Amino acid sequence: MESDSGKLKMKKEDMVKLISAEGFEFVIDKKAAMVSQTIRNMLTSPGSFAETEHGEVTFPEISTTILEKICQYFYWSLQYASFYIEVILVHIYIGHCSAHSGKETEFHIEPELTLELMMAANYLHT
Amino acid sequence: MGGACSRKRDQQDDDDNLQRGFSGRYCKSGSSKWLATSFSRSLIDVKQGLGKCPSLMELCIYKVCDEIHKYSTFSMLPRDISQLIFDELVYRQVLDDVILEAFRDCALEDLNLGEYPGLGDNWMDIIASQGSSLLSVDFSGSDITDSGLSRLKDCKNLQALNFNYCDRISDNGLEHISGLLNLTNLSFRRNNTITAQGMSALSGLVNLVKLDLERCPKIHGGLVHLKGLTKLESLNVNCCNCITDADMKPLQGLVNLKGLQISSSKVTDYGATFLRALRKLELLNMEGCPVTAACLESLSALSALLYLNLSRCNLTDDGCDKFSNLQKLKVLNLGFNEISDAILVHLRGLLNLESLNLDSCRIRDVGMVNLAGLHRLKCLELSDTEVGDVGLRYLSGLRNLESLNLSFTAVTDVGLKKLAGLSCLKSLNLDNRQITDAGLAALTSLTALTHLDLFGARITDSGTNYLKCFKNLRSLEICGGGLTDAGVKNIKDLKTLTLLNLSQNHHLTDKSLEAVSGLTQLVSLNVSNCRITSAGLQHLKSLKNLKSLSLESCKVTANDIKKLQASDLPNLVNFRPE
Repeated sequence: MESDSGKLKMKKEDMVKLISAEGFEFVIDKKAAMVSQTIRNMLTSPGSFAETEHGEVTFPEISTTILEKICQYFYWSLQYASFYIEVILVHIYIGHCSAHSGKETEFHIEPELTLELMMAANYLHT
Repeated sequence: MGGACSRKRDQQDDDDNLQRGFSGRYCKSGSSKWLATSFSRSLIDVKQGLGKCPSLMELCIYKVCDEIHKYSTFSMLPRDISQLIFDELVYRQVLDDVILEAFRDCALEDLNLGEYPGLGDNWMDIIASQGSSLLSVDFSGSDITDSGLSRLKDCKNLQALNFNYCDRISDNGLEHISGLLNLTNLSFRRNNTITAQGMSALSGLVNLVKLDLERCPKIHGGLVHLKGLTKLESLNVNCCNCITDADMKPLQGLVNLKGLQISSSKVTDYGATFLRALRKLELLNMEGCPVTAACLESLSALSALLYLNLSRCNLTDDGCDKFSNLQKLKVLNLGFNEISDAILVHLRGLLNLESLNLDSCRIRDVGMVNLAGLHRLKCLELSDTEVGDVGLRYLSGLRNLESLNLSFTAVTDVGLKKLAGLSCLKSLNLDNRQITDAGLAALTSLTALTHLDLFGARITDSGTNYLKCFKNLRSLEICGGGLTDAGVKNIKDLKTLTLLNLSQNHHLTDKSLEAVSGLTQLVSLNVSNCRITSAGLQHLKSLKNLKSLSLESCKVTANDIKKLQASDLPNLVNFRPE
């Protein structure tokens, strides 16, 4: 997978960094992050958010597990809308980089995550 | 999340009540309600299309509802979220008293439980636990009793309360809600026990805007308690046949009333005099009241009136000149009165009229000239009148007409030529023996037609060739007996049809079913009194949307249809023979 990510032109301005409560960082496509209405507002409203400038958003109330699931949803949602995408989920903390082409049609939700995920979805308008 | 979050608190609007007959929304029989529900879901699915991505919130809610028995409480969730879960469970019709327990103290705002199976007093504990958060409750058609209703006492912020068709709620029950001062909407239709005495509990509900007491037969004398409710904008006492002139008197101070419905009451011309002061009144429904045209003396003071229903009253021509004062009128229903076309001259100045109903009145051609200038007319009902070809001449300039009913009139093929320019026409009723293929030939320019009723018209196979022009047709009825299988072939390309009635065409065979097998949008199909056999049923397998199928007096048994229903037509709910 490393070679894949090497091929991709990761322009900084096309990416955004989402940081979980525990400080885990997820670098994902801006386009994917903007599936969330809340993040879209943060990244696009002029001047009012520091996030706009740095392309970095911290979520002190969202745990790593949930934020990862949310990132997966962002990409799932894009492929649902028949976008051709190349997904990069860079999980900085363990230096793991995965790419998938997103062909699955059903988005799996682990029962034990549902309620917490719901609250995050509510906050993120997703 | 958008749409998933928006909730409608005001479930019915005034238009619901204007339809003649029974709306069905609050009928007690559970089965037909679920029929309506399943229908609306399939519509929603179609609307959203396949490309619509469910939000993460929606996915989570579906997941929770799939595994609902794993959850014992939702009280730790924000109320918006528990509301969404609750609504989905209601929608799925899976809510019961065990599941309901998880919603204790969830601060829910809206509980739309109208006609919910199993709902009774034992649910009220959880309902009341929503406390001051609760804004609207609908438990129409349930077994809730007076003591159940008393549990709502502390839900002080309740704005809308609906207990239509709740047989067990009486005057005592009303007493319990007398302190809910924030109520704006209150509805208890078809309550057979509530009397004037119980209505006194309403006198303090000063914020009431909308009150619906339709079909309450014992409330005579009770409207006096509404006197101080000056915020009231809508009052419905339709079909309360106990209501008399005396009940109109206390209404005269309700100066903010915009809608008043007193159909099928005992109100006479005298009672109408008390309505003169209602200067904001836009809607007045007096259908079936024993009033004469003399009531127009009072009604002509209602200068804001937009909608007036005086059908099935005791109107005669005498006194109808007062109609000319109602300049703002958009909708006027005068059907089933002893009036003639002589009164039409008094309508010629009502240039805002969009809908006029003259069903079964003595309308002849000569007065029709007075309609020629009503250019805003969209809907004209002339069924069972004496209008003929000469009268139609005056309609040819009414380019906005969308709906025209000429059933059981004297109109013939010759007159139909006058309609050729009415390009907005969507619905045309020509159920009339004089109409033949030649008449249909004159209408081929009406390509916007969605509903065409030729029930009794003498249409033959050659006439069906003209139907090809009506590419937007959604409903079609041809039952005059003149069709054979050859004619039905001409219908097979009308792919938008949802309703098709070809009954009484005795020559039709299984080949006709084959011909319609491609009309996959069909929801209702009637081929009764024809030569259909059980062997022909196989052609209907493709009609997956079919909900109603009538094959009365054919060589088909109920069992044949049941088999087809089980194997191929899951949506079929009504069929004959049954």
